[in-house]
Amino acid sequence: MNREGMFKILGSIGAILFAIAVPLLLASTYWTSVFTSIAINSLMVVSLRIILTVGEFSLGHVGFMCLGAYTSALLTMKAGLPFGVTLPAAGLFAGLVAFGLGYPFMRVKGIYFAILTLVTSESIRLLAFNWRGLTGGLDGLIGFPGAGVLSIPGLVQLDFNRFTEYYYLTLAVTLVSLFILYRLEKSRLGFTWLAIRDADKMAGAVGVNVLRYKVIAFSIASFFAGIGGALFAHFERALGPHPTATFGVMTTIYLLIYMVVGGKSRFSGPILGAVVLSLVYEFARPVEEYQPMIIGAIGILVVMTIPEGLIGIPERFKKWQAKQIE
Amino acid sequence: MDITVQEFWQGLINGLALGWIYILMALGLTLIFGIMRIMQFAHGEIYMLGAYTVYYLTVTLKLPLFLATCLGMLFIGILGLILERFLFRPVKEDWLSAVVAAVGLTLILQSGAIAMFGLHHRNLPVLAEGPFNIMGNIFVPKDRIVAVVVAVFLSLILYLFLKATKYGQAMVASAQDPDGAILQGIGPNRMSALSMAIGCALAAAGGVLAGSMFQMGPFMGILSLVKGLLIIVIGGLGSLPGAIIAGMSLGIIDGLFPILFGHAWASLSPLFFVIMILVIKPQGIFGHE
Repeated sequence: MNREGMFKILGSIGAILFAIAVPLLLASTYWTSVFTSIAINSLMVVSLRIILTVGEFSLGHVGFMCLGAYTSALLTMKAGLPFGVTLPAAGLFAGLVAFGLGYPFMRVKGIYFAILTLVTSESIRLLAFNWRGLTGGLDGLIGFPGAGVLSIPGLVQLDFNRFTEYYYLTLAVTLVSLFILYRLEKSRLGFTWLAIRDADKMAGAVGVNVLRYKVIAFSIASFFAGIGGALFAHFERALGPHPTATFGVMTTIYLLIYMVVGGKSRFSGPILGAVVLSLVYEFARPVEEYQPMIIGAIGILVVMTIPEGLIGIPERFKKWQAKQIE
Repeated sequence: MDITVQEFWQGLINGLALGWIYILMALGLTLIFGIMRIMQFAHGEIYMLGAYTVYYLTVTLKLPLFLATCLGMLFIGILGLILERFLFRPVKEDWLSAVVAAVGLTLILQSGAIAMFGLHHRNLPVLAEGPFNIMGNIFVPKDRIVAVVVAVFLSLILYLFLKATKYGQAMVASAQDPDGAILQGIGPNRMSALSMAIGCALAAAGGVLAGSMFQMGPFMGILSLVKGLLIIVIGGLGSLPGAIIAGMSLGIIDGLFPILFGHAWASLSPLFFVIMILVIKPQGIFGHE
């Protein structure tokens, strides 16, 4: 194995170990909950990038997160199902809706697709706002059960309603999802996506069903957005469709900025962006009304100075070093 | 659900006024996209800033609404020039960078507006007092009619500018073929600046109309932005008749559907509408390949 590959594996193991150690190191409920939301953000951003691998970008990822969150919350509340069932159900529902919308939407490209996804997410939010009987309207949903208790008699008893346990649950789901997404990207399916991104007409000419592969990418991304939404729902224990809350356009914008600031060309870029900018966002909490401004300014600064994102800094540094030696 | 004739006309006129505000947004967005190839996702915030500028001109400086609106459009046009030069020109090459620049600007302007103007809703002075009588015994608010007339007038001016003046023709040329336009001595940067100035001024006018008929707040821009973008998809990019038909349809959906079918269905209907158009004609009603 070459040096780069070793470095990659060691880096991921280090990051995972750090993530596992976070509640012990920081030992505060506040930071545990911050890292829970960072894990959810990472899942959202990485799944958003999947759509980019077919050359499109979505401004409606948060809409599918909203679908997943409400699905899981309503299933636990009205049908009394356990979280282990509602989590995949939330993902499946979001994925199915994306599958249905994907066929008409993927007939257009680029900015048109982005606009359609933006309209979708706003429509979903407005539906949650206006369908009072099901979603509680502006008051939102409160008082639905948490993730519940996992007990294997005589072995473990995990109460996921508590912050630390829920953090580990979120981390586990996120890591498994990230692993699946990583393997997908390196599989035949992922290479087909890249072929469509780089030359869609050529891919069509050699027998790839471009529309179908694009819809598959959109559905898979939305599936994981739904999972992220379900994790978010049982973390917050309250959902609201207010335009300034999580399911508004702002979150879409944050996700896009996290992705591009981290670096869209690598799998690890969006994760880096989500972690760094979520921490910046947290540290800016004393000046709450300027939080979006800070994130926006960082986004603009990064695309103006290092368009390839933070992940491209080591490469730049290497080039600069080589120049110095010359 | 039973609705009276009066309610029906009221909804229709409300919808038309809304529709024309959306059309002003869509015209600006199309103009900017046609020339710069950048979708200005911060256009909703420009619209909100336009409304607030005019609010301060009328309420603090006690200027009459008409004069304040003209000045507001001028100021926001100049803001557009500045944004083009220092924000969008450097990132024009990469489309995703341009999108991030636009959404970053959205965040900056929005949180700036919350910090400066506060979250509470305000109202601009009304455009016209009193009801307007149509067909004998049906009354609709007069300001809705004035709003439609103003928006139609501005769209007409834009149309004449693009068709009949040297600069307008230069912009059309630059949108159709940037390289060909350069060979004719039409600089792309100057055209971009002009398109941003005109687009932002139109958004400001839309913001004033909305702020005077409905409430204004820091988040007022998002809904109009979404509708403006939707008009572009439905009508076909760069088509004026397409934008007008799409804008009026969306406005009427917004004005009538909530009272006809209830709010839940009305919030999904624009989405169904656009899906229907896409299935029949993916390039929009009047769009070309």
